[in-house]
Amino acid sequence: MSIPAALMTGPTVLEPVVGKTDEMIVNLGPQHPATHGVLQIVLGVDGERVTRAVPHIGFLHRNHEKIEESRSYAQVIPYLDRMDYVSGLQNELPYCLAVEDLAGLEVPERAKYIRTAMFEFNRIISHLVWVGTYMLDLGAITPFLYAFRDREMALDIIERTTGGRMLPNYFTFGGVRRDVHPKFWQDLLDFLDYFEKVVPEYETLTVDAPVFQARSVGVGLLSQELAVNHGISGPNLRASGVAHDLRKDQPYDAYPELDFSVITRDEGDVWARSKVRMDEIYQSIDLIRQCAELAPRSGPYLARGRVKIEAGEQRYRAAEISRGQLGVYIHSDGGTGPYRSKHRSPSFVNLQIIPDLFIGQKFSDVIAILGSIDIVLGEVDR
Amino acid sequence: MNLITEAAKALRDIGKGMAVVSRAAEKGKHTNLYPFEMPEIPPVSCQSLALIIEADGTDRCVSCLACEKVCPSQVITIERTRNPEGKGFVLERFDIDLVNCMYCAACVEACPVSAIVTIQDFELSTYDLQTLKADKAFLDEQGRRAKQWYSPKLGVEYRNEQGEIQVAPLEQQPGGEAELLKQADKESDN
Ligand code: SF4
Ligand code: SF4
Repeated sequence: MSIPAALMTGPTVLEPVVGKTDEMIVNLGPQHPATHGVLQIVLGVDGERVTRAVPHIGFLHRNHEKIEESRSYAQVIPYLDRMDYVSGLQNELPYCLAVEDLAGLEVPERAKYIRTAMFEFNRIISHLVWVGTYMLDLGAITPFLYAFRDREMALDIIERTTGGRMLPNYFTFGGVRRDVHPKFWQDLLDFLDYFEKVVPEYETLTVDAPVFQARSVGVGLLSQELAVNHGISGPNLRASGVAHDLRKDQPYDAYPELDFSVITRDEGDVWARSKVRMDEIYQSIDLIRQCAELAPRSGPYLARGRVKIEAGEQRYRAAEISRGQLGVYIHSDGGTGPYRSKHRSPSFVNLQIIPDLFIGQKFSDVIAILGSIDIVLGEVDR
Repeated sequence: MNLITEAAKALRDIGKGMAVVSRAAEKGKHTNLYPFEMPEIPPVSCQSLALIIEADGTDRCVSCLACEKVCPSQVITIERTRNPEGKGFVLERFDIDLVNCMYCAACVEACPVSAIVTIQDFELSTYDLQTLKADKAFLDEQGRRAKQWYSPKLGVEYRNEQGEIQVAPLEQQPGGEAELLKQADKESDN
């Protein structure tokens, strides 16, 4: 088999382990269903052990950052949805926060709560997609059907307010684009009442199931030191015992008023990462309930104002989306749009850990580890 | 002995999983038999774009070009000429390339007279891409066919049996809750 030498270069290529069998090169992707997008990983395997792993990205590159340079500030927002299409609403927030800071717009109280509730709601949806597709990768079809049944109901609630399901284009500078549906809060609470009873079922089928535990406990260990050194964020980092959550550390919108604690686990394996996401679903339910209780029912939802940003001003804002820290850096040259807009996307950074996690593991654990990192390729390649 | 306890545990846990499955089966079906059963789509849902013609047959559009300027994908093309009799403009051409449109509804938000609106007709699939390069006739037809439509300025509107355009009641509008509360406050003040 001849693999171009260029495919196998990179700092992560190790000397093949000397064993009884020859090293074999296996292409995982780019059309592998477990890569959730188009990701190619060139794996070297010696018997059952992975000896090298070189991820190749860029198949979904759509040039977001360059396109944004030629758009006005408001025109950028619909493009942000398309970065991480599983949690579209969450992608809009850091950019809006950065522009609000630069333009000096004050977000009304009610808009803050709407945004926070929507943000957390999107986290539930995103984790539902994760639990469904991850279990599908591991060979369990049932959780996928249940997760997408519930995701459908959740998307309906988002659609009733924003007009979009996955690509809503809803947040804007100084608040939200349009007022919420009259039954929005009631819909949310009704859904949560139903959903709260369903999450234990997911747990029975996933983190509590002996078959899943046999495949996940002690697999793909990510040490605290390695996670911090690689800049891992989100549930992956918290499953390694680092209590880092931007909702707590750099609170934005209504998070300062909400009462919650950062979920961490110490194990750092595939099971811990799954368990943290499960617990985060419960946490999001609780946070949305708090928002529904505290949110004012009338008042402005949008602070209208002109977005005029002086030349040379720059700002970096980040938010804790379901995959980790999504940061946006904006540099203005005084024009109508960003001179440079850079996205620090969590999936891209989390993907860098793959060679370290894969090498030395069993070949059949590769998919289990890849899925537990929860990457969305649209965001990796942008 | 060890084997027996492990087997018992495995059976119990599998039983738990099966219990979840059987409980879910009792809840009934969650799918629609599309296209025989149509899904219910909320009126604000942005599935396609349409131009609205008033009951008396005049265009709502005043050719102000606001939508063309604001479109992030730059897919709207408008040509207009000065109205020979009186003020305003005559619309010569109004094209939207629905293939490249990303249904962000920015144009709908920018329109000062709610002429371009979002509709719920999601069945745009076609064998010929050229049919999605929508011209004014196509967009007008979409507007005539739509049961209801949405624009941020006027909210949800629909055509009644006489063909007149009516605004939906507050209960069905986004933001209706805040508006109703405001009215209730005013009434309690009086
Ligand atoms: S919906 Fe968005 S992309 Fe489509 S025509 Fe309107 S502004 Fe342009
Ligand atoms: S913004 Fe409205 S009125 Fe102006 S050109 Fe577009 S559709 Fe016509």
